[in-house]
Amino acid sequence: MARETLVPGERELETIDINVNVGPQHPATHGVFRMVISVDGEIVKDLDPVIGYMHRGNEKLPENLDYRQVIGFHDRTDYLAQFNTEHCWVEAVERLGGITPTERSQYIRVILAELNRITSHLMFVGAFGTDVGLFGTSFMYAFRDRETVQDYFEEITGERMMYNYFRPGGVAWDVPEDFVERTRQIVAQVRKGVNDLDSLMMANEVVLARCRGLSPMTPAKAINWGITGPLLRAAGVPHDLRRAEPYSIYDRFDFDIPTGTTGDVYERIVVRMEEMRQSCRIVEQALDQLPDGPIMAEGVKRVLRLPPGEIYMRVESPRGEYGVFLVSTGSEKPYRHKVRGASFCNLSALREMSIGHYVADVILILGSIDIVLCEVDR
Amino acid sequence: MTQEAVEVAPAPEPGPIARVLQEALPGVSIEPLEATGDETIGVMRDDFTRVMEHLFRDERLAFDFLRCQSGVDYLDELESVCHLYSFTHRRTVTVKTRCPYADPHVPTVSQPEAAANWHERETHEMFGIIYDGHPDLRPLLTEEGLGYFLLRKSHPLAEIEEWQEDYLQAVEEAKRQMAAASGHAPIVDEKAMKIQIAQQKAQIIKKTRDKARADGLSTEDEKRVVQEALAKFEEELAAAPPAGAVAAPAMSKVELAQAKAKVIKKARDEARAQGKSTEDEKAYVAEKLKEFSAQQEAGAAAPAAAPAPAMSKVELAQAKAKVITKARAEARGQGMSTEDEKKFVAEALKKFSEENK
Repeated sequence: MARETLVPGERELETIDINVNVGPQHPATHGVFRMVISVDGEIVKDLDPVIGYMHRGNEKLPENLDYRQVIGFHDRTDYLAQFNTEHCWVEAVERLGGITPTERSQYIRVILAELNRITSHLMFVGAFGTDVGLFGTSFMYAFRDRETVQDYFEEITGERMMYNYFRPGGVAWDVPEDFVERTRQIVAQVRKGVNDLDSLMMANEVVLARCRGLSPMTPAKAINWGITGPLLRAAGVPHDLRRAEPYSIYDRFDFDIPTGTTGDVYERIVVRMEEMRQSCRIVEQALDQLPDGPIMAEGVKRVLRLPPGEIYMRVESPRGEYGVFLVSTGSEKPYRHKVRGASFCNLSALREMSIGHYVADVILILGSIDIVLCEVDR
Repeated sequence: MTQEAVEVAPAPEPGPIARVLQEALPGVSIEPLEATGDETIGVMRDDFTRVMEHLFRDERLAFDFLRCQSGVDYLDELESVCHLYSFTHRRTVTVKTRCPYADPHVPTVSQPEAAANWHERETHEMFGIIYDGHPDLRPLLTEEGLGYFLLRKSHPLAEIEEWQEDYLQAVEEAKRQMAAASGHAPIVDEKAMKIQIAQQKAQIIKKTRDKARADGLSTEDEKRVVQEALAKFEEELAAAPPAGAVAAPAMSKVELAQAKAKVIKKARDEARAQGKSTEDEKAYVAEKLKEFSAQQEAGAAAPAAAPAPAMSKVELAQAKAKVITKARAEARGQGMSTEDEKKFVAEALKKFSEENK
């Protein structure tokens, strides 16, 4: 930055802005994402995110498939929170088609979605640690517990990543017999793991020095940018769709909505840490209430024909508001299938968040958004 | 004859948001629309900016958050859909506005403007809706642009396979023609044929299944019908292998050249025997060649005149061996000497060769 006063005899140097290209293949971009940063020295003057490397026509393809076949496509949007995205889609189909899912299946869905939120946040915390400079330590601690849950998901659904387990009206098949005990065990392990990570990261000198006060955000700005999820809550807005517009059976559980005050990068991590603990609470309450009974509503056909109409269904995914705008014309295929990716909207504010900060900090700001490029590009 | 009653859905009652808007903006048409969950209103695109500004500014409404914005292609018109949320009153409203295909202009969402930026860029890219007043309508997901509007219904998805089929067929046809022109036998691509058969099968399965579903057959009946159709197709295939598999081998280039050389030699010999001058000889040869070419073309045009299958080398050798054995046995029966026997066999062979020419 130009100095106000010059030492007598010193010539003012002419400076130019340089464009620095980051990505698309770069470990710090968390996927195939490119940004063109215009820098003055080390200060970011402008930033142009370039997305679309993963664009697969995820909105177009389901227009040619029936409602059940689309479930798999929602696994492939946000591939770190597949149960949450599937939940959104099956709820949209159920609400439009007037299908009531069974009690047991709703509890199973909530338990799995909350465990999925934990795995997603663990992934974030681990990867963010490497962004900050903790190298593999946080990653390994996070993955120790994430792998446990992931293996458990594989055991339940038969798939490691693309679960395809929820169905309109219920779930594909019942959970294992020892589901309650095993889940309690896993939740206890996750709680301990989260505490480990918390003490490892949140008091770490590097994390404190680099993240505190970085890129703060006011609630008004966050709302104007369309930001949702942990970023919005870190800015001090206690907005969580599980509480604001309870879907499924979320109104039956007692949980807190962690919020921050300044919305800086540090608080975004703190909020996510606390959210993992709250998810553990929800899972434990759901396990207490888990009823027996059928896992699939009666009379739900395989190939559904929804009545003409439309719905904008949204759920609280780990990254924020994940929405589906579904238009049906009465046929067995969706007429329009729009996916509102939470990280798509959060990423659109990256330019405003980054201007005026150091180049090295842009990596942290990007990391704190927790983007999933498959959801951004669809 | 009674006229069938046409079921008309009753127009939905204007909700609380629509009532506030109607009261605040007299003269602006606020059309309540049917939707599951949220209150939905349709506005004319000329009023769109006014309505959006009012939804943002009126304290009774205070819609400060743009949840989602997208487009829908209704074939005659394009629709831009905004889902707004109010943090103050905790409610959602959907605002829709339509524009014709010929003039796809919609005003940009001025408030809250930051969130609308990328949504509008994407909708512009995918539907071709032009958002007037948007600061930067570059393509978002495809940096270089697609050149067509992917999410419009006019951009087919199902028919792409059919296009590919047409294209493949055209390529095959061109290959065949080129092969005929150059005199090479067309190469029969077994892999391509397998793919072709698989495609035909898939079509049969699809057709039969669709028909079965239309007839309302049960799942098992449907399976059975499909199996039957497939079995029938396989029978037909076995009875008449697909064209291309047994394309008549055209005369190869070498053979053609050899045949021509023969014609030239024969014509020249004839001309010399008749004692023609050099120039006359040339003209005679040229004439004969022309005749030969005409014959060849006629032959190509009418492939019914298939060439008689020449005796293969192996068969020829076997036949010769038979002749030799027979001749030798005969000679021995007559008590010939070894040399006479040899001569006798050679004569028999010569005779056989002449017969087989």
